Amino acid sequence: MTPHDDTQQAQTRAAQEPIAISERELTVMTAHLEEAHQATLPVMHDAIADWDERLRSENDPAELAEMRARFGRPSRRGFLIGAGATLGGLVLAACSSSDGKKSSGPATTNTKAAAGGGLATDLKIAALAAALENTAVATYQAGINAATAGKLGTVPPAIVTFATTVQQQHKDHAAAWNAIITGAGKPAVTGVDTTVNDGVVQPAFAQVTDVAGLAKLALSLEDAAGATYLSVIPVVSDPGGVKTVATIQPVEMQHAAILNFVLGQYPVPNAFAKTDGARTLTDKIG
Amino acid sequence: MTIDEQELAELTSRSRDVHNDAMRETREPLSEIVEVGREHRAHDEIDPLAGREFAKQRNLQLGKRVGLLGGVGIGAALLGLFDQPAFADKPSDIQMLQTSASIEVLAIAAYTAVLGLPFAGSLPAVVQTFVTTTKDQHMQHLQAFNAAATALGGKAQSMADPVLAKVVEAAKPGLTGPGPVLDLAIELENTAAETYVANTGALEDENAKKVTASIMGVEAQHVSVLLAVQALLSGGLVDQIALPPPNLSALPAAAGGVGFPNAFYKTDLARAADEGAVK
Repeated sequence: MTPHDDTQQAQTRAAQEPIAISERELTVMTAHLEEAHQATLPVMHDAIADWDERLRSENDPAELAEMRARFGRPSRRGFLIGAGATLGGLVLAACSSSDGKKSSGPATTNTKAAAGGGLATDLKIAALAAALENTAVATYQAGINAATAGKLGTVPPAIVTFATTVQQQHKDHAAAWNAIITGAGKPAVTGVDTTVNDGVVQPAFAQVTDVAGLAKLALSLEDAAGATYLSVIPVVSDPGGVKTVATIQPVEMQHAAILNFVLGQYPVPNAFAKTDGARTLTDKIG
Repeated sequence: MTIDEQELAELTSRSRDVHNDAMRETREPLSEIVEVGREHRAHDEIDPLAGREFAKQRNLQLGKRVGLLGGVGIGAALLGLFDQPAFADKPSDIQMLQTSASIEVLAIAAYTAVLGLPFAGSLPAVVQTFVTTTKDQHMQHLQAFNAAATALGGKAQSMADPVLAKVVEAAKPGLTGPGPVLDLAIELENTAAETYVANTGALEDENAKKVTASIMGVEAQHVSVLLAVQALLSGGLVDQIALPPPNLSALPAAAGGVGFPNAFYKTDLARAADEGAVK
């Protein structure tokens, strides 16, 4: 059985649950939202095309050699769930002065210091972003699989829809970053952020026994993604890259808002987005 | 209504604590902006021609977009902007920051008006709390944008975006129930979020960019909450609009995805860079 089948079964079960309101009305609304989602893709494609054009025009031999060294090494490390993926052995840690700490201001500073700026930095950030998105995709898939296997108790239909919808959006984000990376002539990043996966996700997931526990884990990932995107906005040098980050960061924060609601927490806890917990270029990808 | 008012009050209080922490972070880029602004003024580095050219290009880009608000006379206003380069004596970053402030002014006025509507007291308690808290957050945003604008040598904006203000005025007679109020609030919040997303990609000053970027996602979260409330209200599930949610299993499956309709935030509704600039 494929993960897709699992999702379909879960959705079928959800659809069979007695519902007190007009499901049809909400389904129509969802269809409209899907149309709106599709309408945003051309904007993303334009931004990516702009970036891609610059990358091609500015890719000098020295940078190409450096990026090839960073992107070209294969690895066997795997996803939390996504076995069989082709994994790049990308190691972002290039700066010996970096200490790997995760915080707001320092995250930006570390990112700048570690990367050196310009095209190389932009591509490292794109790789980190793709890996974080892959981590989120894998974690939601693990949650969906656990729910399907009955390991999380009763899973409300709305939570199933939330997980599958958010997972798809993270796939879209990863695809956007990989379009940029492959446009620069590098292999797509299909691995996860192993620093996050091994240090945070795996230990936390082992403790998850219900929907609330999974929601807490998901919230930590969404917060980290939103914080990371916010922290790199001043660092990305390409205007198209900044636009790409700017169109994704608010969506991660929207995911976090709904997760806060699910957990009974105020959904908009801060008047200003924070960079606490932002990931840095010292994270390993595999 | 099954809601624990005390718990909600505690949550709001904790939220304010977290917010205060976030404000401390925002002050750092604002301080940097002040320094940059001083340096620019000291060296007379403001380039009016660059500002004029930017405003022209930004307006031309916006001409390609079709916003939902376009049907209320905004199209003509936008066309008028294309004919004249606005504010040749102001840098474009200041214009964008002032326009952002003007949107915040309008949002504050709109939420204040909502609290004064005859049916405001009958809204779910969590919605009333949301209106109050969100209004407070918009006040913080206004302060941040104005601090950034003045730090770069511009004036603080205390007036509402003139085009959007007309839209709100036109909508007021129809605000006879929660539905139209939610429609308008979603429109305003989305307009704010999309404007800030567009500006983040257009601002040149690093710290102005940081301030704008730190606010865009918060407006997007407001949109999420409003969309979720709208869906529950339209579905007759008023009793589910509470914190914590009384029964997640009672929510329809489709409700799980209504709060974040797009994988990539749009910019169709983004306002012109100089629309709300100080004149």
